[in-house]
Amino acid sequence: MNASMTEVRSSGRSDTADLLAQKRAQQTDSAMRVLVIEDDKDAADYLVKGLRESGYTVDHAADGRDGLFLALSEPYDVMVVDRMLPGPDGLSIVESVRKAAIPTPVLFLSALGEVEDRVAGLKAGGDDYLAKPFAFSELLARIEALLRRSGAVPENTFLKVGDLEMDLLARKVTRQGKRVYLHPREFRLLEYLMRHAGQVVTRTMLLENVWEYHFDPQTNVIDVHISRLRQKIDKPFDKPILQTVRGAGYKLDPAT
Amino acid sequence: MKRLAGILSSITFKLALIYTLIFGVSVGVLFYFVYFSTTGFVVQQKEAAIEADVTGFQETFERSGVTGLIIAVNRRASPGTNRDGIYLLVDSVGNTLAGNLRSWPRNAVADDLWVNFTINDLRRAEAETADVRAKQYVVQGGQQNYMLLVGRDVRDAREFRSRLLDSLNVGLAITLALGVFGGLIFSSTIMRRIAAITRTCRRIMSGDLSQRVAVSRQNDELGQLSLSINAMLDQIERLMNGMRQVSDNVAHDLRTPLTRLRSRLESALRHMDNPAERETIEGAIADADSLLATFAALLRIARAEAGSQRNFVDINLNALAEEVVDLYGPLAEEKGLEFVTQFDEGLTARGDPNLIAQALANLIDNAVKYTQKGAVTVALSQIEGRPAFVVADTGPGVPEAYRGKVLERLFRLEQSRTSPGSGLGLSLVAAVAKSHGLDLRLEDNMPGLRVVLRFPAHLATVGEGKGDAKAPKPQAKPRPEAASETKPPADAQAA
Repeated sequence: MNASMTEVRSSGRSDTADLLAQKRAQQTDSAMRVLVIEDDKDAADYLVKGLRESGYTVDHAADGRDGLFLALSEPYDVMVVDRMLPGPDGLSIVESVRKAAIPTPVLFLSALGEVEDRVAGLKAGGDDYLAKPFAFSELLARIEALLRRSGAVPENTFLKVGDLEMDLLARKVTRQGKRVYLHPREFRLLEYLMRHAGQVVTRTMLLENVWEYHFDPQTNVIDVHISRLRQKIDKPFDKPILQTVRGAGYKLDPAT
Repeated sequence: MKRLAGILSSITFKLALIYTLIFGVSVGVLFYFVYFSTTGFVVQQKEAAIEADVTGFQETFERSGVTGLIIAVNRRASPGTNRDGIYLLVDSVGNTLAGNLRSWPRNAVADDLWVNFTINDLRRAEAETADVRAKQYVVQGGQQNYMLLVGRDVRDAREFRSRLLDSLNVGLAITLALGVFGGLIFSSTIMRRIAAITRTCRRIMSGDLSQRVAVSRQNDELGQLSLSINAMLDQIERLMNGMRQVSDNVAHDLRTPLTRLRSRLESALRHMDNPAERETIEGAIADADSLLATFAALLRIARAEAGSQRNFVDINLNALAEEVVDLYGPLAEEKGLEFVTQFDEGLTARGDPNLIAQALANLIDNAVKYTQKGAVTVALSQIEGRPAFVVADTGPGVPEAYRGKVLERLFRLEQSRTSPGSGLGLSLVAAVAKSHGLDLRLEDNMPGLRVVLRFPAHLATVGEGKGDAKAPKPQAKPRPEAASETKPPADAQAA
């Protein structure tokens, strides 16, 4: 299955699914395992189908009891958990999982998108929170981010993506050995992009993680910040490394 | 001056005036009648007494001749008998024979059968002078004729009359004063109730549909009017809520299928190679995104309006403003606008930081969107001791008539229909203002729009020692080119 996905990719287009599958192929031979705990049948079908298409191995539980059982007994790379479930609800499941010392990253899905709901989810041991309804590309990007994080060394003080280097202690950025001067916020933006290099980062993810806002910013504010960053890290150099992924977000990719 | 004109043209004043006029005229007529009948009666009494005297004298003369008449006149004229009688009897050459006048009065003014005169040397105990009204008679004796004058001092009657007139005048003045006073009270009670109704209607027009007219006396006409207005308002509120409910429900229910539609399009895009087809699908995705954004905004407004004080925390307004400005400032600079920030220091308030940030963000976004050239200014300062955000631009502004309208959902000015946006930006600000009790004012920036968002007194938690005496420190943000040395915030990496 992975092999066939890789072939579709070779057309040269860069979009989320291709990218994820590519990662799969690079990182491991066996597909990443995702547990989806979602009681709504339509939503579950949609999730399972989309994730399988993107190259994941997906298990689905339709209620809290089955979900908890699977979560505690099977090894998963990531769990997608709806908050409101028959049986134990999403929050209790994740609390039990954490008590059992299982560190698998958890992405909460919920119709409740308020800040306090989000906080409750993260407190219970969730790693990310996505309000319904969501764009599938947003979900994929977040799952990807979670997978990456679980494997990566948590706090590098030196980041390197292609010929772009960032020294977090000296607050210094260089590309091709040339110093690039950034404002503090641009620095944080670039840091986030570098930590998620090679994967799609959505505008919402940037807004939440770089600015810590949880609302739609009405206009293309993020695009403006990205274009300013581009002026500094891409424009003076021959090869752009900060890509726009249409309909999804941005990607820092040294390979292109 | 304007105030005076306002009072003069008010219905209260007009009613009081009419009331006073009617009241005054009726009291005046009444007094006129009392005056003339009373004074007429007093004069008649005097005249009747004179007639009676004359009849008595005539009888005496017929019985006992001139000698008897002299005695009778002198007796009548003696101070003990008759206090105000005036008598004089003279012979044909003018010698005084009897009476209390020295001589025949020369200054007598004839009035029909009567004469009126004033005399100063009256031989009388009480007073030397008198105003006299008298009748003259010729008494025909055998050898010669005698002249007889019988009168009465009418000074007291005249005094009575003038005093009566004075009292009546004073009475009329008091009546008029009472009339004005009563009229004012009478009309102002009514007008106050009408003014209360007007006030409530105004508040409702300015958007607070929860207001109701107070009903004090249900059975009178104004009570009925109040009840009718309230019933009408209930109806309007029901309709408005219904409409809002429908739009919220539509937004909510359509979001899920729309999101799926978007994902299906995305999925289709993945298997597509023809650039023209791809472009079509990408356009469709963009359309779905803008629909989703509008729906999301509608729902956010609904949530902001319902926002409870449960989520209120102490907010460092300076930090909040800095962050929002940090996010939106580049937007203005990209557009070639001057972006100025003026923040007073140490301002705090209670509120939902997420909503306040969003409201400020929308105000700045709006200012940038509608300003083609010039400046966008964001200020945080104290207005009347309460912290306030002021966002001003040099765009086309909003005509005064539309300033309430632009806060409504999906309303857009004609000239802005062509520019991007959903017409929900200011509605969200209004919703946040409503749930926080913030004072939201749209003003003329000459040119441009100036929006003031001021915290209410109960949410203002101004840091100690920071009065409004402190002058705002203008700090135009030049954003220096080499700022990467700045220390990062402690929470630099959250993910």
